[in-house]
Amino acid sequence: MEHNVYLPRIGQIVEVKEEVKGARPIKSFRVQLLDGPIFPFRCGQCAMLSVFGKGESMISISSSPLQTDYLQFSVLKMGRVTSALHEMEPGDLIGVRGPYGNGFPVEKWKGKNIVFIGGGIGLAPIWSVLQTTLLQRADYGELCLIYGARTSHDLVFRQELTDLKAQIPVHLSIDVAEPGWSEFVGFVPQNVLDKKPSAVNSIAVTCGPPIMIKFVIMALKDLGFEDSQIYTTVENKMKCGIGKCGRCNIGHHYVCKDGPVYSWAELKQLPQEY
Amino acid sequence: MKVFFPKKEAFGWTLTEAAADGAIPSDYSYAVVPPKKLIFPQEEIFFEFQQTADEGLQLRETLPELPPQVIVGVRPCDGRAVAALDQVFSGSFEDPYYWRRRRATILVGLACNTPPSNNCFCSSLEGSPSSEEGLDVLLTDLGDRYYVRGLTEKGKELIRAQSSLFSDPTEEEKKLRNKISQEGAQKIKRHLEAARELPPKLKTMFDSPFWEEAALSCIRCGICTYLCPTCHCFDINDETRALAPLKGRRVRTWDTCQFPDFTMHSSGHNPRPNKAARLRQRLLHKFLYFVELYDRFQCVGCGRCLDLCPVGIDIIEVLSKARNHGA
Repeated sequence: MEHNVYLPRIGQIVEVKEEVKGARPIKSFRVQLLDGPIFPFRCGQCAMLSVFGKGESMISISSSPLQTDYLQFSVLKMGRVTSALHEMEPGDLIGVRGPYGNGFPVEKWKGKNIVFIGGGIGLAPIWSVLQTTLLQRADYGELCLIYGARTSHDLVFRQELTDLKAQIPVHLSIDVAEPGWSEFVGFVPQNVLDKKPSAVNSIAVTCGPPIMIKFVIMALKDLGFEDSQIYTTVENKMKCGIGKCGRCNIGHHYVCKDGPVYSWAELKQLPQEY
Repeated sequence: MKVFFPKKEAFGWTLTEAAADGAIPSDYSYAVVPPKKLIFPQEEIFFEFQQTADEGLQLRETLPELPPQVIVGVRPCDGRAVAALDQVFSGSFEDPYYWRRRRATILVGLACNTPPSNNCFCSSLEGSPSSEEGLDVLLTDLGDRYYVRGLTEKGKELIRAQSSLFSDPTEEEKKLRNKISQEGAQKIKRHLEAARELPPKLKTMFDSPFWEEAALSCIRCGICTYLCPTCHCFDINDETRALAPLKGRRVRTWDTCQFPDFTMHSSGHNPRPNKAARLRQRLLHKFLYFVELYDRFQCVGCGRCLDLCPVGIDIIEVLSKARNHGA
């Protein structure tokens, strides 16, 4: 029997964590596959999750490939499928197919410093790389995280971020001042300019809202980062995940298959259609 | 074995399951819905799902099981379109639904003695009225008999299985066939000049205001893509039949880049927010991106989108203007 790329494997949700409440809620789901171990994948790759009866949604894998007990997905409630996912509890069954996309070239970054720059739910794909570099700490240089959200309640992985501060510099920000907030107040790109990560022998990985990415890249350029030192991810609507359904393309690149990870040097060559 | 044969309906010609007896009608032009419908159908059920308390979640794969299907009267442009689709549905992620149907299909082409449409322009796009690419057999109508070429193993086998119907062509028949082919090509009325110059030019035109003007009259009906023999874009949706217990199926359907929903994010953001961006996508996909990916046009010059567009958007005209834009 030929391999059916469209047929999902059945996954069971083993843990649900409420990251962010309110109008733009985020939950993290840990998923195991019923028919065997999880598939191997690379940092930054995605999987197509099914809620049967609702449809499929492409979600980045936020756990590290070195952690093989489960796949973690951090999901912002947005459309039909993600809303249905947010109703689900441990024990519930979903469909999983993947992994899809190119992933971050973490092997190439060994020996380099990495500055991670995230906004809101954009920390999810970064988290996979960050965890991987921490598990292989000796292979990398200085690591640091600059992460922000609209309010302190919109920051994901709050407990993990507190724990992370014991291992690497973590610079948080919120857009508007709140009582009791002792860290940076302002937008993520401003925090980048404030913390001035060095461009020497460094890679910057940035994920978040498109407008944030745009200004983060400008900030990084000001700090001396070359286009080829800056990596980001692109999102577009997807259905098949394998470069056939025709909707996620930017130029001749299908984001699902050829992306979602691009260096700024690569991305600026492509039409601005994302 | 099933046979599909040209049949005249009120709206035009179709390829319909039929007993293949007698000749293809002499007034046959082209099938309005191209033969892709039998290989990449408008609706394909991927699998059925069912969730009960007792049995949990069950998926039942519905890969098509079909007898060999012979499609008779495939125009050479449509054969080339199938060859282009083959490339899309191959690669590192092979599409099993497509290939189940494709492998069961035998394409019996019919060379165009006269162009089926006033808007035919296959010869501008590396094709011809007697092109063999993608076909298994090519028929050329010599008036009272067909000149038959078996092109693939599948096609040759079809001929061998009915060998009493065939005889070796005479020199005269060969000459007549060649003459008809040449005349067919000469009768083509529409031409897109220097098509290979288009991709580099279009690459410079992404941000051009040109597309706004070109798309002004578009009513975004999508007919240009639904009935295009090379268009392959699709949607995948779940159809729920019952909620408790959950029962339904996942279905692939044709989709079109001409609809706003095609690319609209669930946030409401749309990277192709207007019909100018969507017309640009359609033409750049066919004349730039596909060329970059596969070194061939994703247009075979069949003329359907010109014939069928309700507001008369003329792809040859638009592309010709694009090539001269800013010159």
